[in-house]
Amino acid sequence: MTDARDDDDDLLTGPVPAPDAEPSAAERTHAKAFAELVDKTLAGRTPGVMNTDDRALLEVATVIRAASGNVELAQPRRRALIEDALRQAVGARALGTSSSVTAIRPSKWKRFAPWSVAATSTLVAAAAVLLWLRAPRHVIELVPTAQLPLTQQSRPADPLVGPIARERAGDARSRIDTIFADRLDGYRELQFRRATR
Amino acid sequence: MKMKHVIWLLVALAVGSCSSCTSSPSSERLPPRVTRTAEPGETEKPIDQKLMLGLSQAMNLHHKAQILASDGDIGSAIASVREILSLQFPANAPEADDVRNDARALLARLLVGQGQLDEAMSVVTEGLAQSQRDSFFVANLMTVKGEILEARAAQLDADPTNKAHAVELRHAAIEAYDASNKIDKKLQDSLTESP
Repeated sequence: MTDARDDDDDLLTGPVPAPDAEPSAAERTHAKAFAELVDKTLAGRTPGVMNTDDRALLEVATVIRAASGNVELAQPRRRALIEDALRQAVGARALGTSSSVTAIRPSKWKRFAPWSVAATSTLVAAAAVLLWLRAPRHVIELVPTAQLPLTQQSRPADPLVGPIARERAGDARSRIDTIFADRLDGYRELQFRRATR
Repeated sequence: MKMKHVIWLLVALAVGSCSSCTSSPSSERLPPRVTRTAEPGETEKPIDQKLMLGLSQAMNLHHKAQILASDGDIGSAIASVREILSLQFPANAPEADDVRNDARALLARLLVGQGQLDEAMSVVTEGLAQSQRDSFFVANLMTVKGEILEARAAQLDADPTNKAHAVELRHAAIEAYDASNKIDKKLQDSLTESP
């Protein structure tokens, strides 16, 4: 019968051993192999081929090491990166100055995208305003079928007064009396009509 | 479809809509017309309170002027008639023109009686200039104008050197009377023709 803890394939997926349990021989071997793997990785000699479990553990170890803050780039590489970043920030063409860092250049499309969107929006808005301005308005034509009687309308006083004789040219008082009386009749009719409608 | 293509499509749509709305002939885009029956007073000018107020004030001022004139206070009578010219009437009310022209005719006659011929002529000339249409009241103003011209000619008769000018004024007076008659006849004819 084989011990479950001796099975390498079952290292990650198998049952979790008790905290005080003695490590098995297989576990020791595996730990040693993994330690060597970590050392090689830190030295920049990561093996090209490794099993899935080791790769997963190695990634976790790398993250833990990076998070501890002890990782530092070599001085020349650090300087090169900073210089490249500064060149890009001031607009200089960083291409070719450092082969190690690829300059971040926005694509043509990304540069023109905001302008294109703004121009399109403006055009659409202008078209909408133009359409609104030129939209046909409703013209209401009134048909005067409900005409007011003439006596209730404001109108010239000529038919009421008639031609003014020369000897009565200054008799405006009697004429204004006539006009006022006539218009008062019409005004009363109109008020009565509105009140009874 | 790429974003670029979408933008070009939008631009094309916008330009297309602009060109279609500007290029179509105006005759094809006549605004839709809606016909509805007018309410009473919507197409005509009904007699309203403002008109009645103006007429009432004019009537009272005329009565006041008559009383003052009969008391011999011509200066106050003239002032009272002048007030009629500044009364408020509804805009474009035909009665306003008529009442003002009639007041001008009376005012001019009162001024003539006071010997203020130039002032009287100025009142008449203003009235004729401001009149919107021919009326019996305009004809009356022309009559009063003729009277003023006659009065001026009579003043000049005293001095024989002004005889030619006096004749000229009398001719002008005749022209004013003729113009008055012409307006009267025209209006009479139109009133007779209309039902």
